[in-house]
Amino acid sequence: MSDLIGYLITGLGIGAGFALVASGLVAIHRVTRVVNFAQGGFAVLAALLTSTLLSAGLPHGVAELGGVALGALAGLIVGVVAIGRPDTSPGTSLIVTLGLGVLAYAIEVLIWGDQPRSFPGVPGVAEVGGARIPAHYLLIIAVTAVVFALMTWFFGGTDLGRALTACASNRYAAQVVGIDVRRMGLLAFTIGGALGGLAGVLTTPVQQVTFDSDVTLIVNGFAAAVLGGLTRPTIALAGGLLLGVTQTVVAGYGGGAYQTEVALVLMLTVMIVQAARTGPVPETAR
Amino acid sequence: MNRWALAGVAVVTLALPPLLPERHLATFVLLLLAATVTVGVSLLMGYAGQVSLGQASFYAIGAYAAALPAVHGVPSLLGLVLAPVAAAVAAVLLGAPLLRLRGHHLAFATLAVQLILLSLLAQADWAGGAIGLQGIPRLTILGFELRDLGYAYAAWSVLAIALLIARNVVDSRPGRALRAAATSETAAAASGVAVGRHRLAVFTLSAALAGLAGGVYAFYLGYLSPGSFPVLLSIEFVVMAVVGGLGTLAGPVVGATVIILLVQLLNTLGTQPGMPDYAPSVLSYAVYALLLITCVLYLPKGLVPALRHPRKAGITR
Repeated sequence: MSDLIGYLITGLGIGAGFALVASGLVAIHRVTRVVNFAQGGFAVLAALLTSTLLSAGLPHGVAELGGVALGALAGLIVGVVAIGRPDTSPGTSLIVTLGLGVLAYAIEVLIWGDQPRSFPGVPGVAEVGGARIPAHYLLIIAVTAVVFALMTWFFGGTDLGRALTACASNRYAAQVVGIDVRRMGLLAFTIGGALGGLAGVLTTPVQQVTFDSDVTLIVNGFAAAVLGGLTRPTIALAGGLLLGVTQTVVAGYGGGAYQTEVALVLMLTVMIVQAARTGPVPETAR
Repeated sequence: MNRWALAGVAVVTLALPPLLPERHLATFVLLLLAATVTVGVSLLMGYAGQVSLGQASFYAIGAYAAALPAVHGVPSLLGLVLAPVAAAVAAVLLGAPLLRLRGHHLAFATLAVQLILLSLLAQADWAGGAIGLQGIPRLTILGFELRDLGYAYAAWSVLAIALLIARNVVDSRPGRALRAAATSETAAAASGVAVGRHRLAVFTLSAALAGLAGGVYAFYLGYLSPGSFPVLLSIEFVVMAVVGGLGTLAGPVVGATVIILLVQLLNTLGTQPGMPDYAPSVLSYAVYALLLITCVLYLPKGLVPALRHPRKAGITR
């Protein structure tokens, strides 16, 4: 029993990372209709910068904030390139973000090399229900909970957040009432970048980061986000936690080699069932 | 391209291999194989309007399907025939459920398929596991064992076959139906095009081309491992297709040539004494990324149409 509690909590911690990546994808997609392939790259960049800042002697907290800020900046830059030109279709933007993801590889290898990196998180071991778990997992879960609560407040309770939600539900109507849709798109990219960066900064102490870890992150993040049709942050949170828990439970009970397959097959099934239920995704006019 | 220019290109490329030093001959072979896969990717993207981020998985399936029987003593030519067949069968089985998806959903689904395949291959001890499959015999055609030059001509023939098939598909009735479906699926379906079947057919064809190229690759290198088929390879094929120009026959060949030569050049530059050891990989990532982004944003039709009609394909869209 204590094994299961242990798996559940580490699973929630890992799933919280996926959920943060997923919510970044959702934040960008619902406003701009772009699926941002560079989303995993934000996490990697933020984690790598944090490791450098920490080894340069900056205290915990400041270094992590620096990482998240870099994630947000990278998000803004990706946004400018991906949707900066008027009339860039979401399909074109997807390919552009794919290209930017590869460009991030060049920058990361140039600055940080291609070896895995990590940095210490919260030290010590916590005991929950008889299970001994590295205390850092509890921090990940707590921070993610706070961030999702803040996002709910931001999107529903502030003017800026409501403007973003307006763009998400109807671009044309949002334009009519005087919202600058492109600027909102860039803001969405910046928020997405910060969320991705936060995911990287939080999970790196328990999972090493290399320049190409973004593939795992983006695939799991997409799998979590696709459950809610890439538009609903709360379902993305649930999806991410579900994925994390499933993977650790599968790994914990002896299927360690197959934990990636579990997530990927789950994602494929969800997408195929969704497509079968709703028919093909509606075409955009060209 | 007119008939004479085509014949000229064919003659030059056929005369080239014996003149190349061994190092460049390897580039030549890999270039032709990459172009073959890109022909399939270009058909899929340009005519069916779908992005596959997992084309390297069919390249891998073809390579393993050719190499595994050959390692166990089956004649290597039979293995080469098996390569496209295995890739096509895999494409039909995968395509039936996956091609219900469109756009970014399909892109992620194909990426997921490749990750699953790589993970399974790494655990499959019968296929060499993560260490890889070694001791693949050389390709023997009619009792004649191929050496380096032989592979150059084998790869040349494979690309010629791919281009011939692609041209016939494009000019055919199903080809026109596909183009209609890529523009507007609803309109095509309303006009009586069996969109799903055509889409599956082109997906299967592109997989078979990748599989055939993979078969030659396996015999040429003599060693395979899951690491030979990274996700980045699939992205490379997309870059080549987009840079060359979707929906043209010359596009994939031009795209593959430009990218492989550029990367090779930068590789030579990056391995000069005094350069840091990460220079080659940094340079090649940067090239893929910058070419892809520039082409998609400023030359959305790719290099070939842009060279043909410099004014039309430029900034105006």
